[in-house]
Amino acid sequence: MIYLHDGTFNGLLTCVYAHYYDKAAEGIYSEGTYELSLVDDKKRLVTDVDKAKKVYNAIMTKISDEAMSHVYHTFLSSDYHKDCYLLRYLQLGFKMGYKIDYHRTHQDVIMVHKLSAKVTKERHLFLGTLRFQEVGKGLYAPLAPDHDIIELLASHFADRLKHEQFIIHDRKRNKAVIYNTKAWFITEFTYEEEVKVSEREKQFQDMWKGYFEHISIKERENLRLQRQFVPVRYRQHIVEFGD
Amino acid sequence: MKDNVLRKLQVLADAAKYDVSCASSGVSKNNTGTIGNSSAAGICHTWSADGRCVSLLKILLTNYCVYDCEYCVNRLSNDVARASFTAEEVAELTIEFYRRNYIEGLFLSSAVEKNPNHTMEKIVKTLLILRHQYKFSGYIHVKAIPGADKLLVQQAGELADRMSVNIELPTEKGLQLLAPQKSMKKMFLPMKQIKDQITQSKEERMHFRHAKRFVPAGQSTQMIVGATNESDLSMLTITDQLYQNFSLKRVYFSAYVPVNRGGNLPALSTAPPMLREHRLYQADWLLRFYQFDAKELLDEREPNFDLDFDPKMIWALRHIHEFPKEINTVPYNELLRIPGLGMTSAKRIFKQRKVRAITYDDLKKIGVVLKRAKFFITCNGQFYGVKSMEPDSIKEILRPAQPFEQLQLQLP
Repeated sequence: MIYLHDGTFNGLLTCVYAHYYDKAAEGIYSEGTYELSLVDDKKRLVTDVDKAKKVYNAIMTKISDEAMSHVYHTFLSSDYHKDCYLLRYLQLGFKMGYKIDYHRTHQDVIMVHKLSAKVTKERHLFLGTLRFQEVGKGLYAPLAPDHDIIELLASHFADRLKHEQFIIHDRKRNKAVIYNTKAWFITEFTYEEEVKVSEREKQFQDMWKGYFEHISIKERENLRLQRQFVPVRYRQHIVEFGD
Repeated sequence: MKDNVLRKLQVLADAAKYDVSCASSGVSKNNTGTIGNSSAAGICHTWSADGRCVSLLKILLTNYCVYDCEYCVNRLSNDVARASFTAEEVAELTIEFYRRNYIEGLFLSSAVEKNPNHTMEKIVKTLLILRHQYKFSGYIHVKAIPGADKLLVQQAGELADRMSVNIELPTEKGLQLLAPQKSMKKMFLPMKQIKDQITQSKEERMHFRHAKRFVPAGQSTQMIVGATNESDLSMLTITDQLYQNFSLKRVYFSAYVPVNRGGNLPALSTAPPMLREHRLYQADWLLRFYQFDAKELLDEREPNFDLDFDPKMIWALRHIHEFPKEINTVPYNELLRIPGLGMTSAKRIFKQRKVRAITYDDLKKIGVVLKRAKFFITCNGQFYGVKSMEPDSIKEILRPAQPFEQLQLQLP
């Protein structure tokens, strides 16, 4: 049996619930990404918050909060089979308890730790390389991350820029974090036009570019190393690497 | 006005770039003002063309200097572009860059303009504007200028997150040679003051929750590598002393980039000793995180690191009689001493052993560099290295390939 969910975290947890209390699952996928196959015996489940809550609590009490964080980060990754890996990880977790994360050499654990690390790493990279521009009264930051990470960025910037309104816009997924100086929320969002940059904004961008150029030591130049840290695919939204 | 600031920014970034520290780590703070927080792990905001992390706006307040230190770009007798920021300009730049998430905070250093007190006052003024007028609670690292009044150093320390005094050269002799206006004693004075006030503030905070924090991210320093002919042993010895006597958080090493001509200096064509700098950093990690002692790594007979092998490897080869160690039983602090094994893999091994015995194939999955480690371990009793535990044959296998030399055709 393949279970399909609506792409939400609660949807995934509902499928895990069904695996234990209905029919055992061979795989779990999000309905949006699932590639149709005629042979598969599949069932679309309606997200049930109560069931999801039960699974959530079971993970927290029977496994650990560390495992929960691995599960959530893996869920946000863009790997096609991520939910299947999670199912296997959780099956093992409910047997082993908190020690599952000690078991670094077990295939089911390796897969989840690998994806979870990718997401955590990308989040950390964007904490630094996200670039805001002044647009009207607020700040606007576009990005196109590999994984669905904007939610993981939100509270950091909401604390850091407490008195500013801002939008963090995932241009790949057409969604955004919007913060209004009191609270943040996530919403669908598209912004097609070029962002109009004010004269003042342009000046600060130029100053930053000038600074960036001058801070490097010519005798130590190492562009390969630089590329390892800032992969080319991320550069289009980073001011100092643009044009 | 902005053109003017842009020019200054370029001049004073150029002047500050040889300062290596750019860490924003060591303190975790929430935003208690209007803007700014910091994460203890530190956040890099970009990487410059030399591959170094940029996390702070690193600039000098001024590069007009009354000193004439031979190794320094900004020495009095050098004909370079000069500029001075006002405190207001630095504060505004910091805030505007910070809002756009270009930086994690400010690293403010300065040449000594007029005299130490005048310079330190200007630094303190900048911090006052940032902390009080803009209510900035992000990361600030400032220099304590040796020779400045104690009260000014204290004021700066109450506003900053990290402070540093660069000792630049590891011996009094080197200092005499290249920076005769400076002295070790003068530099240790503010270092000692900062250390004492950190200790005092920590004690007070145990009793009074609202007691003032003093330099919560600790103090650091920097040494130049390769400007004088001091050995790695003397660099490492003083590093060790600094950690012990002044409870420093970090000691930075900076491969000397020849910027000046001078009788006591390496020629302008000398390449910066990057590999030597790297070895010193590796050794520094062994001191801080791997429970090594400076004396274990180098001694009078071998006062310099081998450029072909990392310091832990050399240590292990000299102590070959202590190996091989059995991965499944050896205690944690000895795991740390196996070449090819870092802190992360040591921790993973330690935990994995509680679940299941580790096989040789498992080690790769855990992240151990078997290429080096295999000569020093057994896994469930089995040894996977060369037959004899001979340091020379291990060295021969592991020696890095020499780069090819381009053959030159001699044309008539």
